[in-house]
Amino acid sequence: MGSRVEILNDDGYRSDGRRQFELRDITMDLSQRGTADGSAMITHGLTQVLVSVFGPREAKMRSQTFHDRAVLNVEVNIAPFSTGERRKRNRGDKRILEFASAIKSTFEPVVQTNLYPRSQIDIYVHVLQQDGGLLQAGINATTLALVSAGIPLLDLVCAVTGGVHSTSPMLDLTTLEENDIPHLTVAIMPKTGKITLVTMETRLHADRFADIFKLACEAGQVIHKEMKRTVRARTRRLVDAMDLGIRSSAGTGENVDKDVAMNEPE
Amino acid sequence: MPRPPSPSIPEKEFTYGALKQGLRLDGRLPLELRTPTLSFGPDLGWVECAMGKTRVLAQVDGKMVKPTPERPLEGIITINSEISPMASSEYEPGRPSDEEVTMTRMLDKVLRRSDAVDKESLCVQAGQRVWHLRLTIHCLADAGNLLDCACLAGIVALKHYRRPEVEVVGDEVTIHHPSERAPVSLSLHHTPYCFTFAYFPDTSTQAVLDPSLLEQRLSAGVLSIALNAQRELCVVQKAGGVPLAPDEVLRIVDIAVQKAKELNTLVERRLQEDWATRHVEVR
Amino acid sequence: MTYVLPGESVPAQHVNLKLGPGLLQVSDAQKSSSIISTRAGELKHTANNRQWWIESNSRRYAPAPQESVIGVVIARSGDNWRVDIGSAHVASLDGLAFEGATKRNRPNLKVGSLLYARVSLAHKDMEPELECFDAQTRKAEGFGELKGGFLAKCSLQMSRMLLDPSHFLLPLLGSKFPLDVAIGVNGRVWISTKEPKHTIAVTRCIEAVDPDGGGMDELGVKKFLGTLDI
Repeated sequence: MGSRVEILNDDGYRSDGRRQFELRDITMDLSQRGTADGSAMITHGLTQVLVSVFGPREAKMRSQTFHDRAVLNVEVNIAPFSTGERRKRNRGDKRILEFASAIKSTFEPVVQTNLYPRSQIDIYVHVLQQDGGLLQAGINATTLALVSAGIPLLDLVCAVTGGVHSTSPMLDLTTLEENDIPHLTVAIMPKTGKITLVTMETRLHADRFADIFKLACEAGQVIHKEMKRTVRARTRRLVDAMDLGIRSSAGTGENVDKDVAMNEPE
Repeated sequence: MPRPPSPSIPEKEFTYGALKQGLRLDGRLPLELRTPTLSFGPDLGWVECAMGKTRVLAQVDGKMVKPTPERPLEGIITINSEISPMASSEYEPGRPSDEEVTMTRMLDKVLRRSDAVDKESLCVQAGQRVWHLRLTIHCLADAGNLLDCACLAGIVALKHYRRPEVEVVGDEVTIHHPSERAPVSLSLHHTPYCFTFAYFPDTSTQAVLDPSLLEQRLSAGVLSIALNAQRELCVVQKAGGVPLAPDEVLRIVDIAVQKAKELNTLVERRLQEDWATRHVEVR
Repeated sequence: MTYVLPGESVPAQHVNLKLGPGLLQVSDAQKSSSIISTRAGELKHTANNRQWWIESNSRRYAPAPQESVIGVVIARSGDNWRVDIGSAHVASLDGLAFEGATKRNRPNLKVGSLLYARVSLAHKDMEPELECFDAQTRKAEGFGELKGGFLAKCSLQMSRMLLDPSHFLLPLLGSKFPLDVAIGVNGRVWISTKEPKHTIAVTRCIEAVDPDGGGMDELGVKKFLGTLDI
């Protein structure tokens, strides 16, 4: 159980040269991929997740639809080459099913499913590289993909992982750190600051939990800022592209409104 | 197969209305647990746990096996759990439903990954022989909150189980039959208990602990916390559902800490009572 | 009181014999017929020995014509409603089988609404059918949608016991607070009171008295009511 690497050295640096509360480099890419209605690729350091969203569309299985809302169908695929050791997970793996069901239940109250009765929204999550914070990347990428697909959301969902090394909390863990210290994932809705998801699987004292939990909530706001920036940049590009042609009132008007509203909090 | 009908409109409205006033259909307070009834079978490690009409049977047995090459110094624990249609007509055999996946994973996290059992103490001969503990969780009836009941049954079964004494002389391993030497209990690092809180769509309704079947079906999200009486959280699980304020989560953790202490006293008492009825002769 | 087990022969004899639930006529090679029981329970008959049946308890409802039941609307198919009455098959209810219903003016039921209805057709090869009025008079006679209140579930015997006017429970509860009750013989009881706590009290009393569960007697219920805050 003893850690082979030093998680946090005396000077306050972590194994990859970050500070305690420093997040890894985040890149978000909202460009269109294939025939998907919306897609997003996110990287947190070396963790890379691609999400494609299809829908709302007619459900393949009519028996599984609801008469008053849309169903979310989440499928997760973890690439065998995503870890250092090549390993194929089959689709029935309980961990993958749990991962999918966590994403599904996180977004069910956020997506306005009641606008699309009897239909289905498919969310395909592809994990391309993993280096810790899988759930965080999966949730963030899904949020962005849903935004880029134009599916109405009540709020963005931002997820962050955090851990505690003896008594010092840290954010955005790598696999190395996740293996050694207790960690949790928190997903917040930044507008209200409320929590939609929190999972923790390792033993941790209740007081330590409170520390890292509060910290992760704050870090979620940082991710939110980054998301807003990306979405805004893309929307602006779209609007500009529309300006080149005829400025249609409905579509652009909405985008501009949103843009203004998004500017406000800063 | 048609889905079982969801609760009717009057049932839904009444339950929400009553919960808003802090009233529950079985007369409990919002944060009151159904007192678990633990009954022990003739064998050690056989426990039936009932919370109201929810009933779960847990059984532990041990076997001597060769350890895995990756972990030659640790014993093996496997948990078999299956929600069969016997528990409730909502469960179908075959493809695991979402609830079943959640429950299996939670049991795995609470009972195995939280390091409740000291796996190194299950090693008899490094790389050669270790104990393989098999915990079978059998859900007999589901009247709400199957997860907490299953976790409680599982952890009590592990506490109740006693493995035969072994003696190692050189390369020879002798397993003493319980009638020859008193079997030894497992060494447990801690005893995690799981508590599930249900939230309702109306945010002014306060959370309820240990939801009944109707409450569970009408809830808009559950928060499960597993922790031990020493204030150590083992699992916190809230996947989606209504968003909660951060302070609310911390408040719930505090409540769970209280409940864990109460439950721990109850479990210890029941185990002692049962132990007193068993005659163990040490020769 | 005689108790019988499945397969026992029953001394039921009458020129115009009528067999109720749990009894079966079998004929052997000698062309003589006898009556046997197919259920465990108490053997009962009318004073003139004409009608015989077995009083037993179960949870699964098997529809029989003219019985009052409580159902939940689960879907709409064309002009009909599909109603769950707890039987093996979903019952269907004609949209016009209500008092004052016409092609234009149909009752406005939603999925999830509760109904008090009568079984108008029950046949082993067909779906049960319900109606919410008296087919002769076309008057509601108390049937129709149940609004508000709460639905308690109990065993079938409990619902029959509650229908018996001499049973102690409902008069006892009625003396404590006003209440509206509709009892379906499919083991469902609809309760409506002013205060939610009263409804909860009734639900818990029914559960306690249910022979399938607590089987509490009158004294026990009185004591139990004393512990509740009503």
